[in-house]
Parts: sequence; C-alpha cells; structure tokens
Amino acid sequence: MENTVDTIIGINVTLKGNLKNKGSVQINGNVEGEIKSDENVNIGETATIKGPVVAKTIEVSGEVKGLIEATERLEINPTGRVIGDINAKTLIIKQGATFIGKSIMPSDGVVVPATDDNKEIKPQKEEEQEDKAGFFTKK
Amino acid sequence: MYYYIFDIKKCKKRSQVENIKNHLAALGISGEFTYPSSAQTIEELVNLGLNKEYTTIVAIGSDEIANRVASVMVGKKEAMGFIPLEESPTSTLIGVKGWKDACEALRYRKINPIRIGRTGSGACFLTELQLSISHPTEVTLEFKDFIIQTQVKGLKISNFNPLIKKIGVDFLDISMISVRPENGSIISKISSVFKTVQDDKLAYSLLRARSLRVFTKNQIPLITSETQIAKTPQLIESTDENLRLITAKNAPVFWAE
Repeated sequence: MENTVDTIIGINVTLKGNLKNKGSVQINGNVEGEIKSDENVNIGETATIKGPVVAKTIEVSGEVKGLIEATERLEINPTGRVIGDINAKTLIIKQGATFIGKSIMPSDGVVVPATDDNKEIKPQKEEEQEDKAGFFTKK
Repeated sequence: MYYYIFDIKKCKKRSQVENIKNHLAALGISGEFTYPSSAQTIEELVNLGLNKEYTTIVAIGSDEIANRVASVMVGKKEAMGFIPLEESPTSTLIGVKGWKDACEALRYRKINPIRIGRTGSGACFLTELQLSISHPTEVTLEFKDFIIQTQVKGLKISNFNPLIKKIGVDFLDISMISVRPENGSIISKISSVFKTVQDDKLAYSLLRARSLRVFTKNQIPLITSETQIAKTPQLIESTDENLRLITAKNAPVFWAE
C-alpha cells in the first residue's frame, strides 16, 4: 500500500509505549507514549497522540498532547490541534489550527514565505515565543 | 550431490514425478529421491540426507514441504532448493514460475542467505503467516518497546511479501486492517456501506519488528499457505541464523549478506 512510509498506525489502533523509527511514520490511530523518527512523522486527522513527538519534519492534522520537537520543520494543518510546547526550526501554523503552548525556535531557523493559507513564525534568537494567554488559535 | 524429498501427494498426475526426475537427469543434477510417509516424516528425511553428507537438500511439492524442510535446514552450511509443483508465494520468493524454471535454478546453484520466520513452537515460514479469522477479532501485539491493541479484519506477519518493501533482512513486516469504530446508529451503519478506498487506507497498519507476541481472547490458528503451523498466543520472530536458499538469478528479495 504505502511503500514510502516505514511504519503506519491505522485508525482504531491503540499503541502504548515508545515507537522509535529510523524511517518515516504515519499515525492515523491513537498513541500513548513517545514517537521518535529520524525522518518524517505525519499525524493524520483521525490520530490522537499523548506524549512527545520527535522527528526531522512533523505534520499535524490530528491532535497532539505533548512536546513536539522538529529538527527541520513543523506544520500544523487547519484540522490540527497541538496542546504542548513546540521546538522547531521552521514552524507553519495554518489558518484554523489550534496551538496551546509555547514555541522555542533556534536562531538558525529557516524563513518560509507566508501565504494566505499559512502563517510562519519567524525564528527568534534564543528567546521563547509565547502569546499572552499561552493560547494560539486562528479562525 | 542432490538429495530430493518429494511430496508425492501434491502431484496432479503420477507422470509428473517421472517427468521431473527425467528433467533433472537431463540437466545432470539427478540424485537420491525420497518420499515422506507415516514411517518417516519430512524432518526425519532431511536429517537423513544431512547425515549422508549431501550438500543440497531439495524439497519438491507445495509451500508446506518447503517450510518444513527450511525449519531443519536453517543455520546449516548445506544448501536448500525448492521445486514448486505450482505457482505459490515461495515460488515467487525464489524467483521461478514453475518446476522447469526451478530445475534450471538448481542447476546454476546460486545460493542466497535468507532469514526466515519462526514461531515459538518451532514451526518456520519462508513467506508469511496469517491469523485465520472470518470475522473482526480483538488482538494484542506485544513488541519490544510497545504494545498494539485493536480489532482486526486481517493480520499478516511477513518474512517476504512482494507488495511490501523490506527495510531490513531480519525484520518481519506486520500488516493489518483494523475495524473502524461504529457507534451503532443507523447513520453510522449506512455510512459504513458507502465507505471509500480512503477509509480502507486509514484502517491499514504496517509495523516492522524482529519479534513479537500475538495474543487473542480465544486460541486462533496461524496459517501459512493454507496450512496451520501454530496457534495464538504465540511468539513469532525472525531467525538469527541464515537459510542458504537456492534461487533464480533475478529473485526479488532482500538477502541477508
């Protein structure tokens, strides 16, 4: 079916524990624990994650409750909901997405031009970025 | 020196036995022919062939005999060959289309080391193991660092599946289709009738592991090539040792070394 992804967790599947992968991961089910990948993690619309997610690039269309660390790029899609802190070199939060937490971005972050559909948060030098209520929602 | 174990029950015609023997003789790779019986099992015949110091043990028949011969041959320095009587997952694994193709591959004796799948009860499988279920069933899969719980419509544990790209020689590929949750309402039942391909894709899971344990509420058979080789609960793992398998030159597989 999906030859480009090493691990796929389907809908209505519950994983408890730590999933560590060298290749890319696609989550459509539920995970209670850590997800770690040397490549990409794609969190689908039907997915719910309770625990940290660490990868090179992360795309969130479902719900994540926990720390997210993306060494390259984090994208939160309109259906995405993140409750937890973010550490990402490049961060894109699309219109309609929910983010509750604080974001930290390294000083050598990459700037991606913002479009109508997304808004990129530019990196700040060694300082934390947080909105006043610790709450970020765009509608 | 070739030692052939012929599962004669799988032959469609008596003449097929003679045709294969004659073809092997014409290729110059004839040897000793043996036939399993109630007095001597396939495994006993393999050990007999090894004791007689044959360097190549060849299974002739279905995937069942190939798996049983492999269970004795794994970790041995002698090579294993397979002549399938019809197309099967194992014939795809060794890259042959029929028995004549397999005889040619035997003649060239290209040996490839391969890991195989083994259950906790000692049964082996070259290709894949399947949970034999006719309706959605609750399963728990226990891996080294995590457990998986779901209701499945199908579960396969593959050592070799041409549709799945292997990520490592000693990894088994675990694929399953889970059941989408339903709330029992009429709307939910109607919508399930019109479920899309996208829904099926969402229900598909793929995991890789060297070993796992499969648990179900009731004992369920685990089958390979329509033969039951174990029951749940069961440990399933990739062997640490290699099987020296004779394959065609273009065999589509990830070899151990």
